Amino acid sequence: MPKYAMVIDQRRCVACMACVVACKKENDVPLGDFRTRVVEKTEGTFPQLRMELRSELCNHCDNPPCVYNCPTGASYKNKDNGMVLLKKYRCVGCKSCVAACPYDARYINEEKGFADKCTFCEHRVKEGKEPACVATCIGKSRIFGDLEDPKSAVSIALRENHSEVLLASAGTKPRVFYIKKYGKPE
Amino acid sequence: MTKTISRRSFLKITGGTTAGLSLAATLPDRFLLWAEEQGMLKATYTPTFCEICFWKCGVMAKTINGRVVKLEGNLAHAGSRGKLCGRGNGGAGLLYDPNRLKTPLINVGARGEGKYRKASWDEALNVVAEKMTKIKEKYGPESMALFTHGTPTDHFLPLIQAYGSQNVGMPSFAQCRGPRDVGLELTFGEGIGSPERVDLANSKVVVLLGSHLGENMHNSQVQDFCDGIARGAKLVVVDPRFSVAAGKAHTWLPIRPATDLALILAWINVIVSEGLYDKAYIDSYAVGFNELAAAVKEYTPDWAAVETDIPAGKIIETARLMAKNAPAVCVHPGRHATWHGDDVQRSRAIGILAALLGSWGREGGLYLATTASFPKGESKPFPTPARDALNLGPYPFAGGEGVTQVIRSATITGNPYPIKGWMVTGTNLMKAVPNQKETIEAIKKLDLLVVVDVMPFDTAMMADVILPECSYLERHDALAVGKGKSLTVSLRQPVVEPRFESKPGWWIAKELGKRLGLAEYFPWNTLEDKIKSQCAAWGVNYNELKQKGSLTVPNTSNPYITPLNQPTFKTKSGKIELASSELKEKGFDAVPRYTKHPQPPAGEFRLIYGRSAVHTFSRTTNNPELNELYSENEVWLNAKKAAELGISNGAKVRLENQDGAVSNAVRAKVTERIREDCVYLVHGFGTNSKELSRAFARGADDQGLITRFAVDPICGSTGMRVNFVRIKKEGLDA
Amino acid sequence: MELTVTGANAITSPHLHVWDWRVSLYLFLGGLSAGLAIMTSILHVRKGGKLAEGEIAAVTAPLYVPLILSIGMFFIFLDLERKLNVFWFYLTVQPLSPMSWGSWGLLVFYPICILYALAMLPDQYRPKLTLPFLINLSERLRAYRLHLAACNFGMGIFIGIYTGVLLSSFVARPLWNSAILPVLFLTSAMSAGAAFMIMIAKEKKVKLFFTKVDIWLILAEMVLLPLFFYGQYTSSGAHRESILPFFTFNHDYFWYGLGLLLLVVILPAAMVLKFLEVQEDHGEELTPVALMKMNLSALLVLLGGLIIRFSFVYAGQLSHLS
Ligand SMILES: Nc1nc2c(c(=O)[nH]1)N[C@H]1C(S)=C(S)[C@@H](COP(=O)(O)OP(=O)(O)OC[C@H]3O[C@@H](n4cnc5c(=O)[nH]c(N)nc54)[C@H](O)[C@@H]3O)O[C@H]1N2
Ligand SMILES: Nc1nc2c(c(=O)[nH]1)N[C@H]1C(S)=C(S)[C@@H](COP(=O)(O)OP(=O)(O)OC[C@H]3O[C@@H](n4cnc5c(=O)[nH]c(N)nc54)[C@H](O)[C@@H]3O)O[C@H]1N2
Ligand code: SF4
Ligand code: SF4
Ligand code: SF4
Ligand code: SF4
Ligand code: SF4
Ligand SMILES: [Mo]
Repeated sequence: MPKYAMVIDQRRCVACMACVVACKKENDVPLGDFRTRVVEKTEGTFPQLRMELRSELCNHCDNPPCVYNCPTGASYKNKDNGMVLLKKYRCVGCKSCVAACPYDARYINEEKGFADKCTFCEHRVKEGKEPACVATCIGKSRIFGDLEDPKSAVSIALRENHSEVLLASAGTKPRVFYIKKYGKPE
Repeated sequence: MTKTISRRSFLKITGGTTAGLSLAATLPDRFLLWAEEQGMLKATYTPTFCEICFWKCGVMAKTINGRVVKLEGNLAHAGSRGKLCGRGNGGAGLLYDPNRLKTPLINVGARGEGKYRKASWDEALNVVAEKMTKIKEKYGPESMALFTHGTPTDHFLPLIQAYGSQNVGMPSFAQCRGPRDVGLELTFGEGIGSPERVDLANSKVVVLLGSHLGENMHNSQVQDFCDGIARGAKLVVVDPRFSVAAGKAHTWLPIRPATDLALILAWINVIVSEGLYDKAYIDSYAVGFNELAAAVKEYTPDWAAVETDIPAGKIIETARLMAKNAPAVCVHPGRHATWHGDDVQRSRAIGILAALLGSWGREGGLYLATTASFPKGESKPFPTPARDALNLGPYPFAGGEGVTQVIRSATITGNPYPIKGWMVTGTNLMKAVPNQKETIEAIKKLDLLVVVDVMPFDTAMMADVILPECSYLERHDALAVGKGKSLTVSLRQPVVEPRFESKPGWWIAKELGKRLGLAEYFPWNTLEDKIKSQCAAWGVNYNELKQKGSLTVPNTSNPYITPLNQPTFKTKSGKIELASSELKEKGFDAVPRYTKHPQPPAGEFRLIYGRSAVHTFSRTTNNPELNELYSENEVWLNAKKAAELGISNGAKVRLENQDGAVSNAVRAKVTERIREDCVYLVHGFGTNSKELSRAFARGADDQGLITRFAVDPICGSTGMRVNFVRIKKEGLDA
Repeated sequence: MELTVTGANAITSPHLHVWDWRVSLYLFLGGLSAGLAIMTSILHVRKGGKLAEGEIAAVTAPLYVPLILSIGMFFIFLDLERKLNVFWFYLTVQPLSPMSWGSWGLLVFYPICILYALAMLPDQYRPKLTLPFLINLSERLRAYRLHLAACNFGMGIFIGIYTGVLLSSFVARPLWNSAILPVLFLTSAMSAGAAFMIMIAKEKKVKLFFTKVDIWLILAEMVLLPLFFYGQYTSSGAHRESILPFFTFNHDYFWYGLGLLLLVVILPAAMVLKFLEVQEDHGEELTPVALMKMNLSALLVLLGGLIIRFSFVYAGQLSHLS
């Protein structure tokens, strides 16, 4: 059973938004909605400034509150690959999952009314391709792969670097890991 | 905490259902993607290359049922390596932009009024040909000028040359790379080309002066930049603004604008006076060292500290950092180099610094171009104009791409001879060239303004005749030959049929040629025929190229100096000229000297500008897929200054320059990320064209505020960061 | 700190925007029907059924319960973006989803409260049912009145709690994510139920009885509310920030501050009024003035319940983990 995960090496991100546009095209995300975003955070006062660039998407949590809160089973955790996915035909559009996600990773497709979110590009992964955002990531900041495979790029990246997850205290056990600036062990 | 969020109002919050809000335009894609996933339809991938900017990245266009659903990078292409930047990813937004030019249009109002009627291709082309013929008869062919940029050049340059004019102006010279290329040519005998031959992936130290990589999104260059950083390169960023690159820097030097030359000269001073330069390299490849050493004596770090507002200690520290890691140091020569009017000399200084570090031709520095090339084809020679071309102006080192504003001046004055017709292809002059008043004045003097464009941007909307070119995804263009590490050739071919009545540039040029009696210059039926015969002549397998999109000629790479791979310098001396004999000959400084530029008086700010990662100049501002991410620019204003002026983040303001030019209302981005003496705009916004439903009047136009420009006497380029603005608060307006 | 986010969704940015007045009304009406169900059961079993004697509300209140519930459920239905898929609620049990077991709970509550209403129908009203089958059923159910009352009571408690758990289960929204919330919502629901009972009851003894009950419930609310805020304040930073809208008196948060201010006035006022009502030596018949006062204090309680639902639904969406 593969255990898919993403590692985001923030040192390599340049906020180019290639991932954002590619994701929208790959998944035909409606105008105004996004499955991934880029956060540019600057702290300090001129000229002592620090910048953090962070691309964000669904964390495909191992302990997913969006799934727990879904009343219809439309949101589910795929047992084969660990991806948190959606059966759109089941969705009633109650928006519980949107409220439940601590990462604001979901949106409601305004035209059709169902909840939607990043799928880790399951359709591409099935074909042996990388997710669209990963494939086009200019900085090679986004790395995708199987945690069960010790030779995968994600396993290597996690072995060799400090990594964090977002809002660890929420207890969601994310599968998107962040390597921060200067996070490399000395 | 300030928050800028790209969002549209969430309509549902007011209650009610969403059925009425259906976005019919996106429905086909959804269906097609679904049908493909179900195996009902098959997707095809067509290779071509991108035209959203000039990096020409290889694209794999995914189509289902004749609709382009996605663009991906072509792995076989050196500029994209399987990736596209945000803009390239959004390229189909141009293809499907409902505001596209759809049919030929003929002006029915006063010039610039923007009133058009539809015309057939035949009629429109006849009108243009007739007027061009008249101009030729009355004033001579040199009175017709071409302004062009990008791939349309490959079709319209030969047309205008065949017609008998050499008066061509491309903003890529006098508004962009001109001074950089000239400065490097004077130093090394050649420039660093485009894509630039910067070996960022292997650098130990990267120095960026301006060059806001990350925002400046030239694909493979930024890939290399990121690789370099990941491999531990030390990054020094010189920028008055805390750019994205500055955010990744080990040392950010927030320089006082317009003083970069002082910093570079001080670096040279340290490296020379401390004897840190690559002596063996200089001995074997360079001349003029003593002259250089004498000239830079006065440019001490202490002196430069006063000029640049960078502590002397930092200047010394960074100079030593470079020297210590030489030659794997890339002092990026920049690209948009037309800053303050002494730009050739600044580029020279960068070149000299690179030479002292021994980084030209070295790994991690500036690598050598492949010396391989394809054989030149034979074509019918163009007629020699009776009158000298005037597009180089009085500038001894102006380049072959021509100096746009010189043609503009001649159009206004009629001297040395009248210019009566402009053909404009692939450039939006109103946005590209400084001082719009002059552009308008010149256009008023014309007998003919014909614009070949994809979108109804400002300049097109002033034309007598608009000829709608189809987008890059719908046409063939000339083969793109790349001379980076290796020799490469890439194909642009149609992914889908042209939409509406738009036509490829080659067809427009050929048809105009026919009507002008120049058919013999277009001795092929279709451009594809021409490409095929070219491939045959070059020994390139056309079918393979068609399938792969890009081919690399094997064994053509020799990027670094080795005993067997010695560089040649096509300068007068055949060496790197630390002191330039050619400049001396023409009465310029052989070694760059610092000239002080005026700084803004109290209450005013220097206007600086740059790029958004998701836009290319003005051309993408109406692209639905990119407009969504960044729909209008903001004016960056230092937080302390904003507090003094009582301007809060997001408040609307107008900028007024020293000549009274006033911008659109634009939101203030109150930020710590910029010095107190300048304000910053992303270039390309604030279009006047009402035909652009998304971009019209959104944001402020930096070019509208650039009424003054400082011409570089060496090459004629226009320094555009010499305008000062005041900030006026806009009345209460949400 | 300067933050630029490219690619944020309007539904979650700058803060959550998923639920509005429809869900607020659903929670209020759901709670009210639950509270009323509880109060009805109490009315019927109190003093072995003696309290209900001669009281018309003993007949009408059980009928109001499914009616109010239906209106409430209509509002949640209005909120669903894909109404045609609503049957999926009942093709699955999602034990961790309050909305799932809530909808199953409602499915149980519904027949129970209807059966209960039938069972409690006095003999003289039964012919009004016209359908012989219903009349028959009503008669048969008589025997199970007590059982049904117990079920009705239990389901009322369950639904009352559910309206709170629906919100409190979201770890992502610190204002909601408090164990006190379900208790507060239950208390408020019961209090609203009692108030409603006061308004529809005719008999003085009934009115006074539920007035007394309501005093205790309001008192409980007045303890729970500060406890809730105290709990949030002493919890994590995100929890502490989550109650800010109620205590920041500026333009953006005007309605929240006002809401809390109103609660601070309404609840004690209602309690004092009720206390006076109980204290007062009413004659045989309630005077019109006394009646008006009673209805007024009951209305205040209902208003308080409405404010709690609205302000919590909206303010919870302003809160987020950070
Ligand atoms: N996304 C995107 N990328 C592009 C383009 C695009 O349109 N969009 N265009 C492409 C083209 S054709 C070009 S020419 C390049 C241009 O891109 P660059 O060559 O990088 O342009 P610069 O003018 O060097 O960089 C602008 C930066 O210079 C800083 N600056 C302003 N004044 C000064 C100064 O006095 N000193 C210093 N050191 N810095 C200063 C500004 O703050 C800003 O960060 O970008 C290319 N890449
Ligand atoms: N103030 C200011 N001025 C600048 C700059 C700046 O940063 N600030 N940057 C300078 C630089 S570096 C450069 S390179 C120039 C760029 O100058 P331009 O290349 O003129 O840039 P754009 O404003 O994008 O205008 C491009 C025009 O070409 C059209 N076009 C796009 N694709 C096609 C096509 O396939 N066929 C045809 N026929 N037309 C097409 C677009 O619709 C648009 O009208 O501007 C320069 N001028
Ligand atoms: S990030 Fe949000 S949507 Fe994604 S699995 Fe976790 S809780 Fe669910
Ligand atoms: S909106 Fe759809 S996916 Fe989300 S919780 Fe409700 S039913 Fe489940
Ligand atoms: S994995 Fe796919 S769906 Fe998820 S953010 Fe990346 S491109 Fe979008
Ligand atoms: S594509 Fe990669 S480098 Fe660019 S913004 Fe996205 S994560 Fe960052
Ligand atoms: S850098 Fe981006 S916009 Fe430019 S050619 Fe490449 S993909 Fe296209
Ligand atoms: Mo440029």
